[in-house]
Amino acid sequence: MRPDDRAAVEAALRGPAVTPPTRAALLDRLNARYDRRYFTPAEFGQLRAAAMRLVPHDPAEMDLAGLIDDRLHAGRTDGWRYADSPPDGDAYRALLAALPADFTTLPAAAQDEALRAVQARLPRTFEDLLAELVEGFVSHPLTGYRFGYAGFMDAPGWPRVGPNELEDREATYGR
Amino acid sequence: MAAEGRLALPLAPDVLVIGTGAGGAPLLARLAQAGLRVVALEAGERHPPAGIATDEVAQAGLFWMDERLAAGGDPVGFGRNNSGRGVGGSTLHFTAYTPRAHPDDFTLRRDTGQGVDWPLGYGDLEPYYDEVEQFIGVSGPAEYPWGGPRSAPYRHPPLPLNGAARLMERACAEVGLRTSPAANAALSRPQEQEGYGTRPACSNRGFCQAGCSTGAKASLDVTYLALAERHGAVIVDGAQVTALLTDASGRVRGARFIRAGREETLEAGTVVLAAGAIETPRLLLRQNLANSSGQVGRNFMAHVGVQVWGLVEDDLRPYKGIPGGLISEDTHRGIPGVAGGYLLQSLGVMPVTYATQFARGTGTWGPALIDHLSRYNHVAGINVLGDCLPYEHNYLELSDELDARGLPKPRVHFTFGENERRMSAHAEALMRDLWARAGARDVWALPRAAHTIGTARMGEDPASSVIDPFGRAHDTPGLWICDNSTFPSALAVNPALTQMALSLRTADALITHLKETA
Repeated sequence: MRPDDRAAVEAALRGPAVTPPTRAALLDRLNARYDRRYFTPAEFGQLRAAAMRLVPHDPAEMDLAGLIDDRLHAGRTDGWRYADSPPDGDAYRALLAALPADFTTLPAAAQDEALRAVQARLPRTFEDLLAELVEGFVSHPLTGYRFGYAGFMDAPGWPRVGPNELEDREATYGR
Repeated sequence: MAAEGRLALPLAPDVLVIGTGAGGAPLLARLAQAGLRVVALEAGERHPPAGIATDEVAQAGLFWMDERLAAGGDPVGFGRNNSGRGVGGSTLHFTAYTPRAHPDDFTLRRDTGQGVDWPLGYGDLEPYYDEVEQFIGVSGPAEYPWGGPRSAPYRHPPLPLNGAARLMERACAEVGLRTSPAANAALSRPQEQEGYGTRPACSNRGFCQAGCSTGAKASLDVTYLALAERHGAVIVDGAQVTALLTDASGRVRGARFIRAGREETLEAGTVVLAAGAIETPRLLLRQNLANSSGQVGRNFMAHVGVQVWGLVEDDLRPYKGIPGGLISEDTHRGIPGVAGGYLLQSLGVMPVTYATQFARGTGTWGPALIDHLSRYNHVAGINVLGDCLPYEHNYLELSDELDARGLPKPRVHFTFGENERRMSAHAEALMRDLWARAGARDVWALPRAAHTIGTARMGEDPASSVIDPFGRAHDTPGLWICDNSTFPSALAVNPALTQMALSLRTADALITHLKETA
């Protein structure tokens, strides 16, 4: 946890360059916490361990596995799936079941080896899972801050759009 | 019939329009202006600009999230792409790219022996193109270098070129490709809009695909739908149609729909189905309506849309500026061994869209993924929009799986043909060359198909088409169709502008028809 990053994000979100709907959405996400309700504890442990190898992150900051559990519990979809894949929840369960039973306790290199095998064996489910994790990761305000992404501070507009033409709030945000 | 707190529906309107996107909205306004009593049913909600967040995840409500099944060799993804839901349809999140079709787009079969010809030509649409461009306020160059004759220049000067656009401009100049600022339906200066008020000039916020928060972009809610309501049209949002009503003679008499969890019906003199190339055939197939030709659901098409991405030294900030700032149509024809052609455009991109596409497209994960994504501010994109031929093997059918509303999920089969594969390869090679000249590194390509087209084609012959060239169902009285399901071929341009022009044309034909049969 890096409290300085969080403080910088909160200061930007409460500033005048952010519109009210943008502020509400990003503050919600910054503080989002989820209770596990869809997966079993064992499945969830596998999912979280896989998620941390696929999209390295700190689950105390952003609960990417919890985000997926929450979506599946609520029955939300992203609007489509491959016709030859089972519904998202079943597909993810099958992927987790294809990992070694002791996946969570394996050394990192062995976990990566197992994930590469699953990527080859279940390419579409793996792709869906990776994309969903990436969405949760990149849309998190802390990730945006670390990547120097300032696009949400657009209330004043962007009068200059050419290469290297940065407003102060773009040049100074992030690290 | 109105429950407490809900909009009371007028009894028996002259015309009921299903869907408020580029097919339904201009027509709705035209009919209302002609004094007809019109009602539109829209499955999605209203999304006024002031409520739009600069955040892709928060804006997921602009998309059709009931699950669709993607089948075939090149399955087409839906949801965040290729779908729309809300008052204004997919124009709520379109990029505002509004090139006109070329005269030869309508005669591909005559010219190449492949695809099909349209039962109408550029000359039939030109006055409507002009009317739409002026009314919604398209920004574009004083003289557009490609395409058919124009009766007037664009109403507003072009929008400024962002980083990717300037890279593409320089690289194209090196290889002798002409470029031009693109036509975009976002305002480069303020414009008064009847029924809405003053729309401001674009603030160069490049989040068009997550909804416009200022009203500068010409989504239909701030243009034709505002006009329609000013002239008395009633737009019912949150009303998802589940069936068309028919009488014993087979005439369509209205629609059944679900609003706030309750089923309702509305009868009307005429029904215009404008639900798009997925939901229109999905509705018709459930009742086997308007399908004596067997063409409902057939010939699904999606544009060749391969993208090439790379990282550059410059700090580009791809979230700024109209995403598709620069265009070249020098590749509209003349690609060896390919029928039809494509346009080339520069690409700005929002962070989640870029990141998920990179993950899906390259399969990269772990530290390498994070490293690449952390360079988002340096991402430059370029892509094409190419014609797609209609094929027997590409179609929509109803599956046995039911969605949360108890309706069968559509299964959409899509596999590129040899023509699309060649076109895609040609485009990728060209764009890789351009991006190498622009100094991009870590270049990667994403093969992709964009837009949903076909599935209820128009034509002169009732044996091989669903509607006539003006939108009237050949075999089902009381039913008209006006959306991109009716396109006989995909055209080598983005469909929204052509769809709006067709919508006005269908409206004029319907008004004439109603007068003649009154």
